[in-house]
Amino acid sequence: MSPHVLSLLSSIMAGLGKTLSLFAISLIVSIPLGFLVTLMLRSKLKVVKGIAEVYVYILRGTPLLLQLFFVYFGLPFIPGIGKYMVFERFQAACIAFALNYAAYFAEIFRGGLLAIDDGQYEAAKVLGLTHFQTMWRVVLPQMIRVTLPAVSNETIVLVKDTALVTAIAVPEIMYYAKGAVVRDADPTAFIVAGAIYLVINFFITIIFKELEKKTDF
Amino acid sequence: MGKTMIRVSGLNKRFGDNHVLKDINFEVEQGDVIAIIGSSGSGKSTLLRCLIDLEKADGGTIMIEDKALVKDGVQAPPTEVRKIISRMGVVFQHFNLFPHLSVRKNLQLAPKIVNKENKAKIEAHTEKLLGEVGLESRIDAMPSTLSGGEKQRVAIARALMMNPDIMLFDEPTSALDPELTGEVLKVMSDLAKAKMTMIVVTHEMGFARSAANKILFMNDGIILEEGTPDDIFNHPKNQRTKDFLASITNKD
Ligand SMILES: Nc1ncnc2c1ncn2[C@@H]1O[C@H](COP(=O)(O)OP(=O)(O)O)[C@@H](O)[C@H]1O
Ligand SMILES: [Mg+2]
Repeated sequence: MSPHVLSLLSSIMAGLGKTLSLFAISLIVSIPLGFLVTLMLRSKLKVVKGIAEVYVYILRGTPLLLQLFFVYFGLPFIPGIGKYMVFERFQAACIAFALNYAAYFAEIFRGGLLAIDDGQYEAAKVLGLTHFQTMWRVVLPQMIRVTLPAVSNETIVLVKDTALVTAIAVPEIMYYAKGAVVRDADPTAFIVAGAIYLVINFFITIIFKELEKKTDF
Repeated sequence: MGKTMIRVSGLNKRFGDNHVLKDINFEVEQGDVIAIIGSSGSGKSTLLRCLIDLEKADGGTIMIEDKALVKDGVQAPPTEVRKIISRMGVVFQHFNLFPHLSVRKNLQLAPKIVNKENKAKIEAHTEKLLGEVGLESRIDAMPSTLSGGEKQRVAIARALMMNPDIMLFDEPTSALDPELTGEVLKVMSDLAKAKMTMIVVTHEMGFARSAANKILFMNDGIILEEGTPDDIFNHPKNQRTKDFLASITNKD
């Protein structure tokens, strides 16, 4: 590699930590949150179900960039409670991403639960399992297997979406790449950044392939 | 006289406008093997499912070992229901094994997390029961690698792990290839010989004739005729019973 590319690489890599931590935090928060929303979507209580439906509708139906701006620039202006809703750039990015991806995961998990036969719940019930034991020991493992390909897909999209937060100047990969391109009047930095995203997604693809093999039954 | 294990009186069940069980009455004594026969849609599965709380009765009384699961149409409280149905094991037409768990773990899940039995005891019980259904060698197999007959034998062993007093079977061989029904019926016959109280919904007339001591013929939501295998198969009184038996023997 030429010294020019190497120096670009090292300056862009300064953003890797932020990219990866935004990615990891969003994923770790949005998956359980998404499952919670799935359970709400299946609730017999109309109010609970309604809230979950509106949540999913809004977060999937509006741009992620808008949601990001809303959390970072918008929330502080809400009369009364706005002063408690002032977040740092990175915090705002995590909040917006976790809420947004939870909506997508909720829909994925909802579909996964539909794939599980009623007979599984019935067998668990007649063996004496409680509702919670049935979900945890019988339903969840099967749901994970069914939804793994879709979750993998969504995870790859999440990696790419982290580039959006450059719009609120979070110093991640895209932020440094853009800085370098503008400074040097040379597009090479974008190619380097693209390569970094590809490498990250290469590893994510491998990890999910392994998980799919492990959970294949 | 054996003790009465199940007493059903005035049981009614509707799905919307469809009156599926109409005033059902019968009793099961300890050690009875009851075969429920009848054409498709006559309410056999619904009856069995009401006994184990997979369907809620609309009216009538279901007593299981002198405890009321339903009394005059009123369900027992949930904790009581759990206790009552824990005395029964169920075998379903489609096995309903847990596909993500090995044979061993299918058998051990409930004893471990419901009964909280100790490991050594569970392990010994697993081996004993798998031996009885002839599947010791498949203990670490995943369900997807088993034949239908093997799956159903695992399902029977899984139900027996909870030491039920009563076993309910809903068409346990209907989903099997004909050449695999024998191995499952054999296990069920062994259970019957060991004096397990059993209710079996079945189209296997040979099994009903040889293993059951009482046959219930269901037709359109009622028990139209009941009696010993000899009564039902050799001296059916009702024309519908005769027609049904003729239709099912012609098929074989
Ligand atoms: N969950 C259900 N919802 C609505 N109707 C049902 C349900 N289960 C069974 N039925 C109806 O009840 C009747 C009896 O069904 P079932 O008990 O399954 O009969 P069998 O087992 O004798 O074939 C049928 O008309 C069937 O369509
Ligand atoms: Mg049926």
